[in-house]
Amino acid sequence: MTFQWHVIWESLPRLLDGAVMTIWLSVVTMLIAMPGGLLWSFMRMSRFKAISLLSACFVEFFRATPLILQIYWVYYVLPAYFDIRLSQIGTAILGLSCNISAFNSETFRSGIVSIRKGQWSAGRAIGMTDRQIMWHIVLPQAVLRVLPALATTWVSLFKDTSLVSIISVADLSYVSLKIRSETYRILEVLTAMAAIYWLMGYPQAKLVDWIHRRYKVTE
Amino acid sequence: MTISLAPFIDSWPFLLKAVGVTLFISVFSMLLGFVIGVIVGSLRTYGGKFLDMTLGFYVDTMRAIPLLVILVWVYFAFPMLTGHSINVTAAAIAALGIHLGAYIAETIRAGLTSVRKTQMSAALALGMSRTQAVRTIILPQAVIRMLPSLGSLFVFAVKDSAIASVIAVPELLRQTQVVAGNTYRPFELYTAAMLVYFLLCFPVARGVDMIYKRVAHLGSS
Repeated sequence: MTFQWHVIWESLPRLLDGAVMTIWLSVVTMLIAMPGGLLWSFMRMSRFKAISLLSACFVEFFRATPLILQIYWVYYVLPAYFDIRLSQIGTAILGLSCNISAFNSETFRSGIVSIRKGQWSAGRAIGMTDRQIMWHIVLPQAVLRVLPALATTWVSLFKDTSLVSIISVADLSYVSLKIRSETYRILEVLTAMAAIYWLMGYPQAKLVDWIHRRYKVTE
Repeated sequence: MTISLAPFIDSWPFLLKAVGVTLFISVFSMLLGFVIGVIVGSLRTYGGKFLDMTLGFYVDTMRAIPLLVILVWVYFAFPMLTGHSINVTAAAIAALGIHLGAYIAETIRAGLTSVRKTQMSAALALGMSRTQAVRTIILPQAVIRMLPSLGSLFVFAVKDSAIASVIAVPELLRQTQVVAGNTYRPFELYTAAMLVYFLLCFPVARGVDMIYKRVAHLGSS
């Protein structure tokens, strides 16, 4: 068989547009899912049972079901049954944000509970309120401690954005699959798609390893 | 809004079979991933620098490329190279397995290296061979420590098997789409599929946690 790599060079601008969309989706989702995750983790630790239970249900449910199904659910069910109309990109971001904030919530919670109880007592002893202790003492340490876990979530989010191609959001995988069906150069286009993902993802995977080494918890 | 259970009354055998396919794909991709993981993980730990680097490249590549991309590559592009078409289910198991294998390899390597080096030195000083030391001293502790990660990776295998719907493997998500398309009842069907995945994944996750709590002391040193 003969390879026709010129197809790739001709469609490179579109592939790069797709790659930009992939990066944009990851950034926006993470910007929503960081405060979102923190909020769910605070709710989980709330002294009100109902709020804590609500958060537990949300987090466990989104962690135990496939992201691709969550995206389909948001896409088909919200407009048809609840009359909520979102654009495709809006749907994608909603689905991704719910999923990632559930994972972030558990990450933040594990960081917060890992800070020794003595620090709370010390804070109270010098007259701080619980809120002050959380914001000024516990949270800064907790966030630093869970940085490696957040970085790992970032990389899996970056990969998972490829799933929004099923609802026709023009990210890298959607654009590639489209070019594939226009040109019939299946092998070339799919290999180029994998290569572009690799070029973007490999340095990130290495960076995560570095963050893990740099911020490893040693006690 | 009215909820209709009619689609389930008509098509539950069809959907139940799809749950079977989901489990089949998850279990076999986990097995394939485990075989790859054991080989890659132990060679990276004990196989010297060259193997560590080469296999590290495989692991990091799998961590960098989305499963969807690997899946469509294996199913659509790979047959163009070999000239033979490939069965969808086999493609799904292969793609999931080589993706998961990298993560299992990392888990196994982390488990093996988490046992302190001095234990190996102590075993060698007692006159054991390296193989003996790994088999009787390091592995029994490492296996326990790997348990939570392996459990969550199995949950990932079940969830990721849903991505195989993209290449039309007749698993739960794909068949849910088929029934939803025929009956115009997406709400009921997608919600039911969510519940089924939850019922498959959540007990596994909690079960592994519970088992680990019981046996964790066996892995501490």
